[in-house]
Formats: sequence, structure tokens, C-alpha cells
Amino acid sequence: MNGIFTVAKKEAGQVFRSRQLLISAVIVTLVFSTTAVPAALSTGGSAALDRVGFMLLVVIGIFIGYIFSGQAFLREKTEGTIETLLCSPLPLRDIWLGKVLGVTLPAYALTLAGAAVIVAGTSALTGTPALPSGPMIFHILVVVPAFIAVAVGLLGLVQLLLGMRENQIINMAVIFLVIFFFSASAGLLGVGFQVTWTVEGVLLAIALVLLLVLRGATRFLDRERIVTTIP
Amino acid sequence: MSIIDVKNLKKTFNRREVLKGITFSVEKGEVFGFLGPNGAGKTTTMRCILGLLRPTEGEALVFGESLAAKDGTRGRVGVLLDKNGVSDTLSARENLEYYARLYGVPDPVGRATEILEFTGLTERQDSLVGTFSTGMKRKLGLGRAILHDPEVLFLDEPSAGLDPEAQRMVRDLILDLSRKEGMTVFVNSHNLDEIQRVCSKVAILHQGKVRAFDTVEHLRGGREGTHLRVVLSDPASAERAVAVLGTVPGTGGLSREGETVSATFAGESAAEIVRALVTAGCGIEEVTRERRSLEEIYLAAVRQAEGSA
Repeated sequence: MNGIFTVAKKEAGQVFRSRQLLISAVIVTLVFSTTAVPAALSTGGSAALDRVGFMLLVVIGIFIGYIFSGQAFLREKTEGTIETLLCSPLPLRDIWLGKVLGVTLPAYALTLAGAAVIVAGTSALTGTPALPSGPMIFHILVVVPAFIAVAVGLLGLVQLLLGMRENQIINMAVIFLVIFFFSASAGLLGVGFQVTWTVEGVLLAIALVLLLVLRGATRFLDRERIVTTIP
Repeated sequence: MSIIDVKNLKKTFNRREVLKGITFSVEKGEVFGFLGPNGAGKTTTMRCILGLLRPTEGEALVFGESLAAKDGTRGRVGVLLDKNGVSDTLSARENLEYYARLYGVPDPVGRATEILEFTGLTERQDSLVGTFSTGMKRKLGLGRAILHDPEVLFLDEPSAGLDPEAQRMVRDLILDLSRKEGMTVFVNSHNLDEIQRVCSKVAILHQGKVRAFDTVEHLRGGREGTHLRVVLSDPASAERAVAVLGTVPGTGGLSREGETVSATFAGESAAEIVRALVTAGCGIEEVTRERRSLEEIYLAAVRQAEGSA
């Protein structure tokens, strides 16, 4: 476990130190979360806050995770330091897991900041505290980080195993999907949608299954594949 | 005891056979030089030994095990590849402490301080590595490779980008690690002078095959014998000296230039030749046993391989 945390600490530290990366992520968080405030106001109340934040926070978290994963996985390949890391006694799966943790934590921290912006903005404009419901708080604290981890883990696998050209195509697909889900989030949920404990239970189960599938997929991690796709 | 064992190693990429069944071994405490022109397969061999590439056929073992399969065994190995393995966005100290923790070094901070002092980078320890010169990065990479006191050290062009003083530091370090610590060192290099100075055994690789594999001493001695250069005290006796040398069994390759006569002889001792010259009344000023340089051996091996291809 020490090795995993060593890698995670290094990755998180590098994310927070990269001014350019951090500015991009903060801008994304602010833009996405502040544009959600008017939407919450137009519907009114805590239920609206739940409805607006429900999908948006996942989208923000995944997008920031995507931005940061480039630093943790792709940059290590382009710098060539991945080869030296692969020669260390750390198993390949632990390297991957350490990087996933190191990217997920800062991405989640910024997502929480985004949630705070939505709550604070809505409360300030309505003049009354617009707090999320219990299931929504669970959503923010448990489900959102789980989905960020799934997305970062998947991106990490792809970025390690594929060449630069394939990764460029994946990058474009991710951006397209994020924009699609961001613009369609309210419509996809339907007018009568409510964040309930059942919904959260189902989502958490899906996230856990995806994490297990991802864990199984790490057996496809292969030193030769990584080394031969270094640009 | 063999520390590194490469047996009939073959590696094919997209139907192109890069390694065509190479075999060699490196014993404990040896400094082994791996030579060959660009594209010969040196890096592929090293990657196979380090477990970064899977052999298509044959095996490449360290301590009798494949490094791809044994995580713990990788902890006994130090590696300096062409890219140094240090991150540009971390400081020199952070890079060293990071790797020290990955390798389970008991006191990462203290060990990083020692390595910084050893590599002469203490003053720049908090600077980002991205601001370092190529040579400084190389020194840091070298320090990183030895910070966990490995039993085997793999170095890929260790002195690339270093100034002469730093190159000497690298040479001295390699010799020190081998002599004092008993460390086995595998050096992949184009720098023949460096290899000649530090390596006890070499393999010359060309077009995916090992063309020569022996101790430097044996290779320099040459298969055709030892080259002898005799300076005579009287140039007039040179003609006679050539005639006398022609009668000594196992002597060939005779030539003369002024008062100097050169010959190649098969035996270990030059005494017989000197005796024959003195008996024939040739005054001798100087006798020098000349050995082939590693560069000559390398070029001969490559030319021979190209000729037979």
C-alpha cells in the first residue's frame, strides 16, 4: 500500500503544482457551476438544486479528472519516465491505482468546490439557505467521487495502453461526451425527476460494478504495450 | 555465479526479427560492456532483460528470474535509461525522495541528501529538474539509479551529455561500485574509450547477433596473436632483423619502417623473438607489445559481420 500512496501523493502534488493545469480546472469548475445557478433559481428551491447539481457535478468531476489524467498518465509516457517507473518493484496495477487515486482526489476536491459555488450562489440570490437534500449530500460525498474514480481509471488504462494518435481520438470523444451531457443533463432527467435514496443506491451499485470491472480490466495492463507506445 | 543470463534471446516486432538468438552471461561483480551500432538491438536486449519487453523466444534472466514476473527482484536492480527517469516538474530532492520511497529505502530524506552531495547537486536540490542542464539531469538520474544500493546496475549511455570531468566521475563511480561494493554493472554504450577503461567483459552486437563476447583482455590480445614492435639501435640491421624474424615459428605480419620492425607472433612470451634477434647481432633499443584497441576490435567485428551478411 505504501507504494500506491507514494505514487498518489506525487501525482496529486504535481497536479496542484501545475499552474496551467490548475487554472484550466478552476475555470471549468467556475464556468460549469456558476451557469447552474440561474437554472436552479428558475426552478426554485432545494429540489431544483438537487436536479441541477445531480448530473452536473458528475460531469464536472469527470471533466477535471480527464484534464488531470493527462498529467499523470500521458505526460509520464511523453517524458519517458514511465519506463523507469516500470522497472521499480511496484506492480503495474499498483502504479495504475496510485495514479488513479492521485488524480481522483484533486478532481473531487474541485468538484466539491463547484458544489459549494452552486449552493452559495443559489442561497445568496434567493436570500434563503438552499441546502441539498439528504440523498443529494450522499450523492456528492459518495457517488460523485466513485464515478470520477471510474472515469479516471478507464482513461488511465486507455492512455497507458494506446498510442498518442489513438489517445488524441479518445480526447476528442471525451470532450464531445462532456459537452453533450452538460447541455442535455436537465432534459435527460425529465421534469418530475427527484434525487431519492433508491436512485442513489442504484447509482452506487453501478459505480461499484464498474470499479470491479475496471479492476478486472487491469490484467490487460502490459509493460510491453506501454513501452512500445511511448512516442 | 551468473547474475545476468541471456539464452538464445529472440525478439520480433511486426515480423521483423530484431534479436536473432543472442546468448551471453554476466558474472557477479563484473562490469559488462554492451556495444553495437545504432539499430543493432542493444536497447531491445536491455528492455528484455529488464522485463519491459517479452522475448519472442529464449530467456533473459537476472538472479535466475524474469524481472517481468518478480516484483521483488526488480528492487535489487538499478536502472539508468536514456531519459534519466526524473520528472521535470519535481525538484531534484523530490525526485530522489520519491524513488527512495518506491524502493523502500529506510531513510528517504537522509539518503536523498547523501545522493545530492555525491552528485554535487546540493545547491540545486530545490530547483525544478526542468531547469537543469542535460548533464545535471544525467547526474541526478545516475544518483537515482543507485540510491537503493542495487546489486545490479543497468546503465544506458551513462556519460551521454556529460562534460569530461563528469564523465570521469561516472567512470570512477562504476569502478568503485564494482570493486568496493561488488556490484554487477551492465553498460550499454557507444563510448568505446569508456567501455575500454571500465569494462572487464564485452559483447559486440550487430544486426541482432552477438559478434564477439569475451573479456576485454582476451579480445585485445586478438586471435591472430600479439603484435610486437621492435626499435633497433642500428637502422642498417633492420633488413637482417626481418629475415631472422621470418625464421621464428608462429611469427607473421612482418613489416619495417626505418629502424622499427613490427611482427605478430602466436606465443604469449616475446623472449624467443628477442633472443633470435640478439643472436643474429641485431642491437635492440626498445621492444613494445602492442595490443589492439577496443575500437579496432569493434570495427573488425562489425565489418566481418557485414562481410558475411
